[in-house]
Amino acid sequence: MDITIESLVFLIFGALTLGAGVLVVTSRNLFHSGLYLMMSLFGVAGLFVLLAAPLLAGFQVVVYIGAIAILIIVAIMLTPGLTQIKTLFNEQWMVNLAAAVIVFLVLVSVITPLMDDVGVDNWNADFTEDHPKAVAADSMTTLGEQLVDPDYFMLPFEVASVLLMAAMIGAVLLVNPGQAEDESVVPPEGEEV
Amino acid sequence: MFEAPSIGDLNIAATLPATLLALGACIFLLVDLFVPKDRKYITALLAAAGLLTSLVLALLSLMNIIEFGSGETAFAGLYIADQFTDVVNVVVLFTGLMGVLVAYNYLDRIGKQRGEYYYLLLFTTVGVMFMGSAGDLVTVFVALELLSIPLYILSGFRWPQEQSEESALKYFILGAFSSGFLVYGIAMIYGATGTTEFRGIWLAVDEIIAQDLSSKYLLLLGAGLTLVGLGFKVAAVPFHMWTPDVYQGAPTSVVAYMSVAAKVGGFAALVRVFASGMSNFVLDGATAAAWQDTMWLIAALTMILGNLVAIVQTDLKRLFAYSSIAHAGYILTAVAAAGSAAVTNEAAQAVAIYLAAYAFTNIGVFAVIISVEKDDSSNTGLDSLRGMSRTQPLLAASMTLFMFSLTGIPLTAGFVGKWFVFKSAIAADLFPVAVIGVLTSLVSAYYYLRIVWLMYFEEGEPQVYIPWPLASAISLAVVGTLLLGIFPYLLQEMAQDIVLAFGR
Amino acid sequence: MVPLWMYLVVAAALFCVGMFGVLSRRNAIAILMSIELMLNAVNINLVAFWRYQAPERLNGQAFAAFVFAVAAAETAVGLALIISLYRRRKSVVADDANLMKW
Repeated sequence: MDITIESLVFLIFGALTLGAGVLVVTSRNLFHSGLYLMMSLFGVAGLFVLLAAPLLAGFQVVVYIGAIAILIIVAIMLTPGLTQIKTLFNEQWMVNLAAAVIVFLVLVSVITPLMDDVGVDNWNADFTEDHPKAVAADSMTTLGEQLVDPDYFMLPFEVASVLLMAAMIGAVLLVNPGQAEDESVVPPEGEEV
Repeated sequence: MFEAPSIGDLNIAATLPATLLALGACIFLLVDLFVPKDRKYITALLAAAGLLTSLVLALLSLMNIIEFGSGETAFAGLYIADQFTDVVNVVVLFTGLMGVLVAYNYLDRIGKQRGEYYYLLLFTTVGVMFMGSAGDLVTVFVALELLSIPLYILSGFRWPQEQSEESALKYFILGAFSSGFLVYGIAMIYGATGTTEFRGIWLAVDEIIAQDLSSKYLLLLGAGLTLVGLGFKVAAVPFHMWTPDVYQGAPTSVVAYMSVAAKVGGFAALVRVFASGMSNFVLDGATAAAWQDTMWLIAALTMILGNLVAIVQTDLKRLFAYSSIAHAGYILTAVAAAGSAAVTNEAAQAVAIYLAAYAFTNIGVFAVIISVEKDDSSNTGLDSLRGMSRTQPLLAASMTLFMFSLTGIPLTAGFVGKWFVFKSAIAADLFPVAVIGVLTSLVSAYYYLRIVWLMYFEEGEPQVYIPWPLASAISLAVVGTLLLGIFPYLLQEMAQDIVLAFGR
Repeated sequence: MVPLWMYLVVAAALFCVGMFGVLSRRNAIAILMSIELMLNAVNINLVAFWRYQAPERLNGQAFAAFVFAVAAAETAVGLALIISLYRRRKSVVADDANLMKW
C-alpha cells in the first residue's frame, strides 16, 4: 500500500477511533469517557466517508453523536457523585483482558492476510482488494428510497419504528417522575402485612 | 424515481396475524390513555381479544383452512409465511394469551396494574412473530430487539422493588452485549456471502463450498458469533448465567411469559439462520453442516448443567430457571440434528413440536408458582408447595401433571416433544447426544418428582390465591398438556408440513 | 485504496475494546458506552463489506442504519433503567447490583 492521502486519512481516523475507544474504557472520569466516546464515534464517521457512505456518516454525526452520545452524557450528569470512580474495573479484569485479546486474535486470523505468514491458510483475495467497484453516484438517494420501499426494507423499517416506540414507552414508564408520588399516595393493595 | 408499488405485489395479507397484532398494540396504546386507573381490566381484555383474534387467524392458517395472501413470501422475501411461521405464531400467541391471563390478578396484587404491561407484552409477541417469519437477517435482528427491549422493561416492572430492577438491568446489559455478538456475526455472514437474505445466503454458501472459497472461514466465524448471540437469548450453556437471577428477580407473571416466548423467538431464529440459511454449509468431506458439532456440544453441556444445577435449587423460580436451561438443551439437540441434510425438515418439525409442548407445560408451572407467591414476592421456596394435595387437590394434580410432562413421562406433551427430538437426533447419527438427553431426563426426574413428593407426602398448609383468570390459565395448560400427550397425532399433523431447506 | 482488511482490523479491535469494557467496567453507564463501541465496530464492518464486496446493492448500508435505530432504542431503555435504579440506590455500580455474579 502506497502512502496516499487516502491512507493517511484512514490512519488518522482509525487511530482516532481506536485511541478514543480505549480511553472510553479506561477513563476514571465518566464524563471524560463520554467525551471520548464522541471522539471515537466521530472517527467512525470519518471512516464512513472514506468508505463512500456519506449518508451514514451524516447519520453517525447527527444521530449517534448528536443524540445517543449526548443522551449518555446527560445521564452521566444526572447521576452525580459517580463521575470519579475509585475502582475502575472489577476483580476479573485481567482474565477479561486476556479473553478480549484472544477474541481479537481469532478475529484477526480470519480477516487479515497477515496471518498467511504464520502459516494459517486463509488468505482471501477479496480482503486485499484495493480497487473495489465504483459506487453508483446516486447511492444516497437509492438508500433513502430502499429503506421505505416494500421491495427492499419496508418491513424491518416498520418493525424498527414499533421498536422505537416500545423503547420510548418503556423509558417513560421507568423514569416517570410521577411514580414516586404514586407509590406513596396509593399504597399497593394487599400489602397489609 | 420512487414509485409506490401496488399493494398486490407486497402480499401483505400473508403477514396478517403479525401486522394485525402490531396495529392492535398501537391502537390499545392510545385507548389505554382513556381507560381510568381502576378499570385496567379493559386494557387487559382488549389485549386478550387482540391476541385471540391473531391466534384464531394463525390457527386457520396453520390448519390450511385459509391461506392469507398468495405464496410463501411477502415484502419481497423479507417475510416467510410457511408452516413453520404458522406454528411459531400459534405457540407464541397462545403464550401471550396465557401471559395476560396469569398477569391480570398478579398485577393487582403487587399494585402495578398498569396498561403498559399489556401492550409491551403485545409488542414482544409481535417481535417473536416477526422473528419466526424472518426471511432476512435484517428482520431477524430488528425483530430480536423488538422481542428483547419490552422484556427488559417488563422484568423491571416491579419498581421500586430492588430485585426486579436489578434483574432488569442485568438482563438488559447481558442482552445488549449478546446482540452485539449477534450483529457482529451477521456482519461476518454478510461479508462472506454479500447478502442478508436467507435465500441469497443459501445460494452463496453453495458457491463457497463448491469453489472452496476462503470466505468459508469468514462464514464459520459469522456462524459462531451468531450462535453466541442467539445462545444468550435461549439461555444455552455457557451463555446462561443471566437466567437464574433474572427469573428470580423479575415479576413471576413476566417470567411465565418470557420463559417461553424468548425461547420460541430464539429457537425460531436459530432454525431460520442455521437450518434454513446455512444448512448446506458442509465443509470438505464432512457429512453434516459445519456448525453441527458445536451445536450438539452446546446442547449436551446445556442439558447436563441445567439438570445437575437444578437439583440443588431450593427456590422454585430458580429451579425452573435451570429447568428452562435444561429444556433449551433438548431443543438445541434437535437444532443440531438439523445440520444433517437428510434430517433438516424432520428436526425443524421436532423443534416446533417441542416448543408447543413446552409452552403449555411451562406456563402452567409458573401459573402455579404465581398462585402460591405472596404479594411481596416471597414464598417461592420449595416449601411453599408442601402438603398442597390436602388443601388444593386440583392444583396439586395439575402441578403433578406439569412435572410429569417436564420429565417426559408418556401420555404428556413433554414426552411427545422429547420423543421427536431424540428421534431426529438419532436419525442424524447423534447417538451420544440422544443418550445424554435420555440420561439427563432421568436426572431431571429426581427434582421434578421431588416436587410431587412434597405436595403429596409431606405435611404443610400452603396458602394459595387463585382468581378465575389464573385458574383458567392453569386449566388451559392442563388441557393442552394432556391433549398433546394423548393425541401426539395432533402435533405431528401440525408440524409435518414444515419444510425449510431452500433449493431442494 | 486502503485494503479491506485494514478496516476489518480496526473494527475487530474496537469490538474487543468494547467487549473488554462490558466485562470489566463496574459502572453501568460505562458498560453502556462500551456496548456502543461494539455496535460501532459492527457498523464499520458492515459498511466496509458493503463497499468492497457488494457495492451494487445497499444491504450493508441499510443494515447499518438499522443498527443505529436499535442502538438508540437500547440506549434509551438502558439509561432509563440506570437512572431509575440510581434514584433509589445512589449507585449504578454494576457489582452492587450483583450484576456480574455468574
